[in-house]
Amino acid sequence: MSKDDSKIDETGSVSRRDFLRKAGTYTAASLSGAAMLLSDPKPAQATQNVTWAEHFQKNYRLMTEEEKQEAIDRLEKRYSEEFGKTVTVDGSPAIDGVLFGYALNIQKCIGCRRCAKACVQENNQSRGPEQEIEWIRVLRLEKGEFDVNDRDNAGYPEGFGVQVGGNAYKPAGVVLEGQHYYTPEQVPEKDAFYMPMQCMQCEKPPCVKVCPVRTTYRDPDGIVVIDYNWCIGCRMCIGACPYWARRFNWGEPNLPNEQMNPVTHYLGNRPRMKGVAEKCTFCIQRTRKGRWTACVEVCPVGARKLGNLLDPESDIRKVLQTKKVFRLRTDLNTYPKFFYFMD
Amino acid sequence: MFKNRIVGSTAAICMLAVFSTPTVYGEANQVGNECFESRDGKTQVTQKEVAPGTLNVRCSPTTGGVLWWGDPFDGTIPMGDMPASVDADYLHEEAVVKPREPEIDRNKLLTVCTVACHNGEYVPVPQSKEPRPLAMHQDIVPDSMKLAHGKGAIWCLDCHSKTNRTKLIDHFDNEISFNQPQKLCGKCHGQVLRRWREGIHGKRIGMWDKGGKKRWWVCTECHNPHDVEQGNRQSGFAQLYPEPAPMLPKGMPNADHERVKHGPGH
Ligand code: HEC
Ligand code: HEC
Ligand code: HEC
Repeated sequence: MSKDDSKIDETGSVSRRDFLRKAGTYTAASLSGAAMLLSDPKPAQATQNVTWAEHFQKNYRLMTEEEKQEAIDRLEKRYSEEFGKTVTVDGSPAIDGVLFGYALNIQKCIGCRRCAKACVQENNQSRGPEQEIEWIRVLRLEKGEFDVNDRDNAGYPEGFGVQVGGNAYKPAGVVLEGQHYYTPEQVPEKDAFYMPMQCMQCEKPPCVKVCPVRTTYRDPDGIVVIDYNWCIGCRMCIGACPYWARRFNWGEPNLPNEQMNPVTHYLGNRPRMKGVAEKCTFCIQRTRKGRWTACVEVCPVGARKLGNLLDPESDIRKVLQTKKVFRLRTDLNTYPKFFYFMD
Repeated sequence: MFKNRIVGSTAAICMLAVFSTPTVYGEANQVGNECFESRDGKTQVTQKEVAPGTLNVRCSPTTGGVLWWGDPFDGTIPMGDMPASVDADYLHEEAVVKPREPEIDRNKLLTVCTVACHNGEYVPVPQSKEPRPLAMHQDIVPDSMKLAHGKGAIWCLDCHSKTNRTKLIDHFDNEISFNQPQKLCGKCHGQVLRRWREGIHGKRIGMWDKGGKKRWWVCTECHNPHDVEQGNRQSGFAQLYPEPAPMLPKGMPNADHERVKHGPGH
């Protein structure tokens, strides 16, 4: 490849889209990747500069410790230049003896959507009118659509919406046919309740099963992660997820420098590129360092709990022991580690 | 003559102290800007830099609600001893709270109350715990004969010390700091206190791991002790303005389809 058509700049980076156009013939999945599928007729004006080495690196899961460190160093340098501040990329592995579980008190949730917005502050999603990505969605349901005592009555015909499983892995009388775009003056509204949904970190995640390049996988602490560099943008995972938890970067993400959260994790909130899937990772950059997730911290009513399922003293285990608990779509045997509970 | 003047100015201070200005939320996310945590107007945070480029909190431009903590322990103090409990891990953890006193003292209410008003002279020490109409504090309790807490079964002096208005009281009339309302509320809401200690009721931020430092939200950061009914809502938590809805997918003009009610037949 000659110098002028690869457009190497002083920092040794090359415009990603340019690179891909020229390098498409190199055939490795990571190279021909997502941006090829989303080929843009407009002249190359890529905002994302990706180094050569980044393009040729292995899947994170298969890297040696040294290779991981190299990849991280490269990214820290590139992001720091791109966003004009010191950006850290953490590579902390799962903590031994920890299996993350989440519980949400559906009786307390007031539908204020602060969790969804806090998540964006923390996790560097694309924002603005061109492409807005939120990992948490809050569904508004009518009170009548949900009755604790009716949990085991399968009151709806097959194939109508999503059904909620009770504790005993029975379908329950709830159809998730809620409203996403409710805009009342104040919340909670009379006769409504709210059901926030995000990645449930399934023990048997359907998204992992369908990924053709195995770039999404379950780590030992139970978090389902994505190595964005290997994502080819096929969107199979998005279709496979019964909880609508995954999002796709159709365009170049928009993340203003001053809003960017510089504390990142390789498998979590580091800036993404056009053409990759993303989703909630239980704020892996925080939780692997012992800190609560942004959504747990922001919930004004304290409805969100996260803890270690393997620790009998943890708040999450106390919830499972003492409260009425259910999970979504247990009939699919996904074994979500995201629980809903009632007082 | 002299005495009268003091009483006169005391009344003026008393009056002044109870009028709080309504909060107006400006541009979000700049130093000096004010926003709130769980109770609008009663859990205020002023934005400041805790590290270069990092604010103590980030706030919602639309609702003024805190969205993100740059430092979860900003402005906290040690919780003090936890209400009694057995075999608890958290006794070995660093536990901090946001003190309530600065919030209550915003209009110098706490500073002046025992000096200017409840000094035993200007307002005599009450002789009984019977509810009675009050000439003051309507901003806090609009109708003292209809206190929206306890369904008529409790009165101010079940919570407030009758001799020292800067303190709350337990069942033995021992003083409790406003910074530890859990000790007050727990005397009547034992079950909830227990769940609170376990971290199930209420909320904690900071480190989730065993042994990690935690900021515990105290009861009055979420509940208004003078109104746990909220009118017809019969709810202990006041309504909030919601954050904006997510953007409509491209090509979807509105969300009317969501509002169409399907009949019971489906
Ligand atoms: C259930 C216990 C309880 C009862 C009953 C109660 N209070 Fe309070 N009061 C509190 C607590 C706790 C605080 C501190 C609130 C905070 O931290 O925001 C407080 C604060 C106050 C304050 C300080 C102003 C402020 O910021 O709220 C005044 C004045 C007051 N109470 C008056 C009264 C009067 C008058 C009554 C009776 C009509 C009354 N209280 C009944 C618990 C109670
Ligand atoms: C002196 C006893 C007493 C104290 C102290 C007390 N409460 Fe209460 N509280 C009651 C009673 C009585 C009720 C009414 C229960 C009912 O509805 O029958 C009540 C009701 C409530 C409710 C509504 C309960 C419901 O079931 O809807 C909340 C919330 C509440 N209290 C919170 C608090 C908080 C927070 C504090 C501390 C600031 C506190 N209480 C202190 C006696 C007390
Ligand atoms: C993070 C916010 C938060 C904190 C902190 C908190 N609560 Fe609550 N509490 C709630 C919410 C939300 C509800 C449900 C309100 C409703 O729907 O009526 C509730 C309900 C209650 C109720 C009535 C229902 C029940 O669960 O029995 C009582 C009593 C109560 N709280 C007391 C307390 C006491 C006592 C403390 C401190 C030890 C406390 N709360 C701390 C948010 C909080």
